[in-house]
Amino acid sequence: MPPRAVALAFVVACSSLINAQQGTPSPRNASYTIEARLLPEARSIRGREVIRWRNTSSRPTSELQFHLYWNAWRNADSTWLRERRLAGLYTEPRPDAWSATDVTRLRLRAGFGGAGAWADLTEQQRFIAPDDGNAADRTVMSVALPAAVAPNESVDVEIEWISKIPRPFARTGYVDDYYFIAQWFPKLGVLEDAGWNTHQFHAATEFYSNFGVYDVALTVPAEFVVGASGRETARRTNDDGTVTREFHGEDIHDFAWTASPDYIDLTRRFEHATLPPVDVRLLLQPERRGLAERYFAISNATLRLYGEWFGAYPYGHMTVVDPAFQSGADGMEYPTLLTGRGRWLAPADVQVPEMTTSHEIGHQWWYGLVATNEFEHAWMDEGINTYATARVMDEAFPGNRVEARYFGGFIPWVFDEIPFTRIENDRLAGYRDNAEADIPATPTLRYWPSTATFISYNKTALWLHTLEKHLGWPVMQRALATYFERGRFRHPQPADFFAIVNEVSGRDMTWFFDQVYRGSNVFDYGVQELSSRLKPAPTTVHETSVVVRRYGEATFPVDVVTRFENGEEVRERWDGLDRRVIYTYERESRPVSAWVDPDRVLLLDVNYTNNSRTLAPRASDAGLKWGLKWMVWLQDLMLTYAFFV
Amino acid sequence: MSAWFDGWRRVLAARAIVAGVYAATLLTALPLALTMRGLIEADLGRSAMADRAADGVNYDWWQEFTARATGIGTTLTPSVIGFAATLDNVSSLLDGQRENVAVMAALATYLLVWTFLSGGILDRYARQRPVRAHGFFAASGVFFWRFLRLGLVAGLVYGFLFTYVHGWLFDDLYERMTRDLAVEREAFAWRAGLYLVFAGLLAVATTVFDYARIRTVVEDRRSAIGSLLAALGFIGRHPGRVAGLYLLNALAFLVVMAVWAGVAPGAGGAGLSAWLGFVGSQCFVVARLLVKLQFLASQTALFQRLLAHAGYTAAPAHVWPESPAAESLRT
Repeated sequence: MPPRAVALAFVVACSSLINAQQGTPSPRNASYTIEARLLPEARSIRGREVIRWRNTSSRPTSELQFHLYWNAWRNADSTWLRERRLAGLYTEPRPDAWSATDVTRLRLRAGFGGAGAWADLTEQQRFIAPDDGNAADRTVMSVALPAAVAPNESVDVEIEWISKIPRPFARTGYVDDYYFIAQWFPKLGVLEDAGWNTHQFHAATEFYSNFGVYDVALTVPAEFVVGASGRETARRTNDDGTVTREFHGEDIHDFAWTASPDYIDLTRRFEHATLPPVDVRLLLQPERRGLAERYFAISNATLRLYGEWFGAYPYGHMTVVDPAFQSGADGMEYPTLLTGRGRWLAPADVQVPEMTTSHEIGHQWWYGLVATNEFEHAWMDEGINTYATARVMDEAFPGNRVEARYFGGFIPWVFDEIPFTRIENDRLAGYRDNAEADIPATPTLRYWPSTATFISYNKTALWLHTLEKHLGWPVMQRALATYFERGRFRHPQPADFFAIVNEVSGRDMTWFFDQVYRGSNVFDYGVQELSSRLKPAPTTVHETSVVVRRYGEATFPVDVVTRFENGEEVRERWDGLDRRVIYTYERESRPVSAWVDPDRVLLLDVNYTNNSRTLAPRASDAGLKWGLKWMVWLQDLMLTYAFFV
Repeated sequence: MSAWFDGWRRVLAARAIVAGVYAATLLTALPLALTMRGLIEADLGRSAMADRAADGVNYDWWQEFTARATGIGTTLTPSVIGFAATLDNVSSLLDGQRENVAVMAALATYLLVWTFLSGGILDRYARQRPVRAHGFFAASGVFFWRFLRLGLVAGLVYGFLFTYVHGWLFDDLYERMTRDLAVEREAFAWRAGLYLVFAGLLAVATTVFDYARIRTVVEDRRSAIGSLLAALGFIGRHPGRVAGLYLLNALAFLVVMAVWAGVAPGAGGAGLSAWLGFVGSQCFVVARLLVKLQFLASQTALFQRLLAHAGYTAAPAHVWPESPAAESLRT
């Protein structure tokens, strides 16, 4: 290497080290310089990377651990596929669906850009399975080091690898000439004070990694449009019909990219009086060009509301990808890059593109900036985000409707009379059916795979929404804004979140977190009895009894409201701890109804039907009406089958 | 075309048949509908949630109900509302989806009822004159067993189509043709094409069995296989007319569907609103029954025009059997 280049590299390295220690938003202790070439005929990627890593833990390490995520689909014995099979979610992949990542060379050099010699550690690769001991799983690679790396010391790691791109598994892969490439390069695990936190790739988990600077050069066929994390900084045309595009991203912890010759490429700028501008780039499928305005509208709304509620989006750019049909890339988040969910036939009243895009943009805050450990605490990203984007949809797009899809899922039908409310966006239905599946405090990688999302997403969103109703939105908003501000770039733990809620609210909510986070008990309050009798003459007083019951094992304070014929309403506050409470009233008027939790504060209540009782029930009216409707459906079905006789 | 108009004349001239098949459609569905009503009432109990369920849609309660439900309760989905019901049913037929067991029992009962009534219906349409209830049911009884035998063959044919042909078309061919497609509308074009192919096969099969039933009645055939072969022969000799008539009837069906799509009631409210919606829905049921009867009547008319003559049936008219004692009383 020429002396001048060595000096330049040394200066750059030293300045990077200084920046990492002084005033950069994130620690930048894992920075990647990657050169990769897409090989479309072979459906492969050949890559070379230099990782600049600094030990920010308090302990030395004699090994480095890497994620090789694509080995999860190397064969059917990986932990990812074994868990899918165990949970009944397995479909035998096609022969061309498998993937692999093979490291062909691995070298190490002490210090950033140091002049020291490279040590070839290629033969030191070994695969470990720290979670389940599955010797067939090759998603975590350990490399023994010739010398320990002490706290605050740094190394350069050079890796050359070749990866076989999968047909879509977990949101990554190709279909036809559409590529969505995520979790594609050998990525360092996270060294914490307790040791390496490098989990295997599990069916129910996502990812966790350190922040850094990414400089990525992607070589693809010239006709391909490319979107990626970071901003494109340079482009050069090569003699072999390819183009190399260079991207740069700072203070991010991952890098994903997409390439297709078919993308429609649109850019709009988000502007706000107090929030920094963001260039929103939309990569759209040609058959869905009609969704462009919808994508931009929801992007603007989410950037605005998240920015106003929690804190500004700092990166200045974002790429929204409308993924190709059957790409499996729908609804996923990567730093400054995300995928929405469009359909060829997408009724305006069914806001699936909006809900998905808002959710993935919201991830830029919780996944991208706060960056909690998704292997262990997925709820801190998915749950908080589900809760927050449900609020975005409720505020910005209240006209959402329920739909059904027929004829192989292609033809939509909108039910104009059935709104898709915020509670639906909190995903109550899925939670209700799986309320006891797992204790949320269990590390996510141990959740049962087929029900993991109902705990991480649904239950968390519901208890956060319950907390909002209990504490009030202003307190909740301040708590989340404080959590975001303090947690950005710092990978907080659950205890950090709970402490902030307690601090900001000025109340000890530990009792609540014990119920919803450290347990899997079910909430169910109901009115067991509402009765009234006229007391013996000469009085005209009615004696009303209201019996409220706790049917579930979890507890929460609830209101009980009894309404009388003369319009009077009595509201009681019950701590909800005992199995039942009885309220007795003596009034001139008969009661009409009794409700427990009439304002629906406790959204985790799995049976809201039993929350009320009335002396003038209309179940027969409802039964007749819906019985008739169902009968017409049955008659229609019979007539359809009468086609054969 | 003349057979098509002739078919409508025959249908509208035999209004008792329309009333009869409508009654059969209503009465076959009624037991399960009453059961469903009971399930809903039991689930709502004395809950105030019933108010919103009665006056509109209570989606909160609805989702709880279907989560708690077993049996036919699980079939109460938003697809029962309005035109979604028709889309749902046609879609599940073409996608080969299985129904709930109790629903399948109702379907089987209904098909059996139609098998029984078909003989009388075709006899009445063939004779083109009133035959009275005794004549109608006598013909139904005579031809029921022959149609059952024919139905066994039809069952094998439809079973083969739904089990093997459908599986090959949609699980194998569709998967192979679309697995590398990145454009949704191209995949839908494939699926729509395969729906047309499968529907076409079903249409061919039902046409063959329809003419087999017609020939059984008009020519008083006893052999199911013989009737089938005769039907195939007839269709083979007159493919254009048979297909043209079928398409005209299919067009009538589509017109009924299109009108229904525009006027089908939504969720509505309780009380009078519910009954008005129900009455409107029953008008749709009657319209579909008319189209179904038109298929039978017009095909009968076509057969008689081409092979026999109007009003021809081989079997003599069924008369009310009179005992010697009754006859002696009269004289």
